[in-house]
Amino acid sequence: MKKYIKILFLFAPIFSMAQQVDRTKAPAPAKAPVIQVGTPASFELPNGLKVFVVKNTKLPRVTATIALDLDGFVEGDKAGLADMAGQLLKRGTTTKSKAALDEAVEFLGGSLSTSSQTATVSALKTNFPQLMSLMSEVILHPALAKDELEKVRKQTLSGIESSKDDADAISNKVMNRLVYGANHAFGEITTTKTVNNVTEADVKNFFATYWKPNIAYLVFVGDIEPATAKALAEKNFGAWQRGAVAKANYPKPVLPNQTYVAIVDRPSAVQSVVAVASTVDMVPGAPNAIAASVMNNILGGGFSGRLFANLREKHGFTYGAYSTLNPNRQVGIFSAEAAVRNEKTDSSVQELLREINIIRDEKVGANELERMKNYLSGGFARSLENPATIANFALNIARYKLPADYYQKYLTNLSSVDADKVQAVAKSLLNPAQMHIVIVGNAKQIAKGLDKYGPVKYYDFEGNEVAAPVEAKADASLTPEKLIQKIVTAVGGKEAIAAINDLQLKGKASVMGQTLDVNQTIVLPGNAISVMSMGGMAIMKQSVVNGKYSVNQQGMEAPITDEVKEGLDEAAALIPEQHYVAKGYQLKIVGAEKVGGKDAIDLEVKTPLGKVSHRFYDATTYLLVKTAVSQEVPGQGSVTQQQFYSGYKSVNGVQIATEEMVDMGQMKINIKYTDIKANQGLKVSDMK
Amino acid sequence: MQKKLLLFFVCSLAMAQLFAQGQTIQFEKYTLPNGLKVILHEDHSAPVVAVTALYHVGSKNEDTARTGFAHFFEHLLFEGSENIKRGEFDKYVTNAGGVLNANTSQDRTFYYELLPSNQLDLGLWLESERMMHAKIEQIGVNTQREVVKEEKRMRMDNRPYGSFLNEMLKRAFKVHPYRWSPIGSMDHLNAAKLEEFIQFYKTYYVPDNCVLSIAGDFNKAELKKKIESYFGPIAKGTSPIVRPSIKEPALGGEVRDIIQDNVQLEGVFQAYRAPKQGGDEYYAFNVLSNILSGGESSRMNKTLVDSKQLAAAAQSVPFFNEDAGVLITLAIANMGVKANVLEQHMDSVVNELKTGLVSEREFQKVKNQITTGLVASNGTMAGIAESLANYEVYFGDANLINTELAKYNKVTREDVLAVAKKYLNKDNRVVLYYVPKAKSSK
Repeated sequence: MKKYIKILFLFAPIFSMAQQVDRTKAPAPAKAPVIQVGTPASFELPNGLKVFVVKNTKLPRVTATIALDLDGFVEGDKAGLADMAGQLLKRGTTTKSKAALDEAVEFLGGSLSTSSQTATVSALKTNFPQLMSLMSEVILHPALAKDELEKVRKQTLSGIESSKDDADAISNKVMNRLVYGANHAFGEITTTKTVNNVTEADVKNFFATYWKPNIAYLVFVGDIEPATAKALAEKNFGAWQRGAVAKANYPKPVLPNQTYVAIVDRPSAVQSVVAVASTVDMVPGAPNAIAASVMNNILGGGFSGRLFANLREKHGFTYGAYSTLNPNRQVGIFSAEAAVRNEKTDSSVQELLREINIIRDEKVGANELERMKNYLSGGFARSLENPATIANFALNIARYKLPADYYQKYLTNLSSVDADKVQAVAKSLLNPAQMHIVIVGNAKQIAKGLDKYGPVKYYDFEGNEVAAPVEAKADASLTPEKLIQKIVTAVGGKEAIAAINDLQLKGKASVMGQTLDVNQTIVLPGNAISVMSMGGMAIMKQSVVNGKYSVNQQGMEAPITDEVKEGLDEAAALIPEQHYVAKGYQLKIVGAEKVGGKDAIDLEVKTPLGKVSHRFYDATTYLLVKTAVSQEVPGQGSVTQQQFYSGYKSVNGVQIATEEMVDMGQMKINIKYTDIKANQGLKVSDMK
Repeated sequence: MQKKLLLFFVCSLAMAQLFAQGQTIQFEKYTLPNGLKVILHEDHSAPVVAVTALYHVGSKNEDTARTGFAHFFEHLLFEGSENIKRGEFDKYVTNAGGVLNANTSQDRTFYYELLPSNQLDLGLWLESERMMHAKIEQIGVNTQREVVKEEKRMRMDNRPYGSFLNEMLKRAFKVHPYRWSPIGSMDHLNAAKLEEFIQFYKTYYVPDNCVLSIAGDFNKAELKKKIESYFGPIAKGTSPIVRPSIKEPALGGEVRDIIQDNVQLEGVFQAYRAPKQGGDEYYAFNVLSNILSGGESSRMNKTLVDSKQLAAAAQSVPFFNEDAGVLITLAIANMGVKANVLEQHMDSVVNELKTGLVSEREFQKVKNQITTGLVASNGTMAGIAESLANYEVYFGDANLINTELAKYNKVTREDVLAVAKKYLNKDNRVVLYYVPKAKSSK
């Protein structure tokens, strides 16, 4: 008991010393910590390799990075070469296969990664010297083997393929092309063609041209003495031969004379990706670079920026809206971007420009400025936890010739940014009268009204200017009735159609690498059965036989609604257009558009149950080339499914499409009929 | 043979030295009179501080008719408190230049703020407000319920293979609460009354069910006083804490199923029932898992991805918890590869582990990788704070942060063979095929 009291007594002073805290408000921050940004040791090898050593003994591990001091590469018709070469670098050396190299690295518990102008190794201190010699082997004696190049090429091509459906990726490529220009390293676009142009010799030549020690930095970070680092650098990279590397000399991008709109047409798009962009004259570490960063963060930095507050929280146009401002030694870039609903494209451009104007024309309020400065200084402090930050600081100081105490003074300089400086930098960098407005979206739905921002131009996915999608004019004298006559004639005429009693189409469908069997049978009048199967097992079966309707997916019967019946009846007619008038369909010729590069007449069809679809007929042959149906999908807005028809072939005098492509946006189904037979004497009783 | 043995001995010795030279993480641990455990790691190398609170409550503590509560609280406890207005919790942190987040497992919930060190008090205030008198109100419950539903849609329903953990757990466990995952049931959350949420808060979010772990740039003596001021006045919990003691029986035969999902590539997911975390077998399993999928040269990557090109990705995941574990092996097929073909090859990779000892070289490689990984996990203040709290809650020994490597070093090749033989058997596993919707796989 006595002992207990004693302990309590010992505790007592501590408790009484505990200050009373005011819980009702957030505690004030303590005095800002004095931040010491260390200066790394540095030296240069005789071959010109510049070395930095950031000693940090917190953990017993070391990382070393080699980085070339280059601003990209002009690759022309071999765009993609540098990235592919960078990946190939770590896929084997002259004495080690890829598998052997991977094993050697991982046996040491280490890691090795490479890119077009960097290589990095990391390991515990004890194993680090061996990792260094592996990095040396990779850089000085890479295998650059043909079979590994083909693996890299395959991956690169599938990457390009998957980015074709990615509006953000398209926007980014086209924006860079327009902002920097085609002859600038930053404006090049990698395509299937350019990737296929890359040869083994190109890759070898790439390393022979650019990978030289005299334009490289070697940076050590971690538990290592400068003297040890020096010995390792000399041992592993002393033999690396220097060589002249031509300095990049890209044509300086010119701002457009006036703001204009660049539309990249994606007819299936339900969202527009809008970007307002321009180059900016700002090099890293420029006197107003910190003010520019504050300005950009106020405008569009993350969830707390004005663009987010306006386009998402106030207007609900988008899930997010942001701006970026990147200084660069060649030329910097600014862009403000959002992915918005189709119908809000015009309004979004307007709001993006409005916010750019406001930050130029009005002084930022004291609170907003203070919050942003806190946010940035906190981020700076947190970044110092990673020793690689110090290494990056050292690299930037060397590369961009910044004052040695640039980062040491960063916080002081940040705190001196005031509202005047923010406004001044906005005025000098952002000019709403000379911007590229790049919009990737459904041109037909969004283009209207955009000309108020400047001339409207059209571009393809690779940034080449193309003609505006022509609003092909339908012949004004053409009525739906006349069109149907022309369609019937084009297909082969009433008699030929009437002479068909049954029709069977067999073929294959390919969906995302899978192949399915397709079998369609029509027995006139009004019976049809369509089956998709895989390995003999029916996956999808739809039928109308003797007035009985059925839709079966993987053995599960779907409910039959009147709309389903209407659809199946249409499928059971050889040429459904023949029956439109009699069945009370409402028809309207609403215009024309290009389908596969040719003019097509757009017939709007409304069924008696009110289902609307669009059918497109070639303006010269009058054959059906496309159908389109839109429907509301919760969470995605209106989604359009398109189906394309081609490869027409005469079967008993009637034109039948042998190829169909169903485009559901993310997923495409290609159907090819190889076996088409008419009048085999099929009966309703044969239809199973 | 003898030479080999010698080599192995040298390697182990090298590791032992490394272990000895590895910087020890110094920390102080104590308990406040209200039961709050405090762990402090002082480090001035960068001007940052991680303020973290680990509550020993996860989905396994939930009522079978109220699953998803613990994860729901991960969201609800950002709603505000008596002194923090609704929706302002995260703004305080952002405006101070910090970041914050939280996560929930089947065993525990973890909240953290990473701040510039001069904002330490803010972190203490926020966490103590959350523990002392968070606001559990209908409006916050309604808001967060929608957020959680959206999260479930985004992470599970809308993400390819996203439902696999749910599907796996409900087949791997029949009686233990591990049969559901932290996201729980939306119906349960819909049905729950406000009083139930309040009761859950009063039961589990109490000082005596929490470890406050703080790492970074602070003065320890001053911090201890501040902790006393902010957390000392919070009352102990009064409701009994439910810790399930259910013993899950053996699986008793292979369980197989086919899941149709919005995926383009078929996938194979296998889960072998395994012992709970912490024992010798657990460490052997971690070594085994690294043999299967640690890095480019691991067996699954080398065989399935690189050489046979059957899989776009392959991985083994040791999923171990307080009461039980599973070893998950999974692979996503390349275009055109069927799940059953992929599974055969996965099985032969796994079966190889049962037929003989792993080579000494490969065994050493894996141990070296584990050593590097353990060191790297102490690379940030947030990582250190979380590890200290985890070790303390799970094993009652925060110092495992310094000694766990020894447990890995004890694992022998024979141990790996033994756990492979004992556990990696068909009648002890669940196998799920993921196939594209509206298509089937034979």
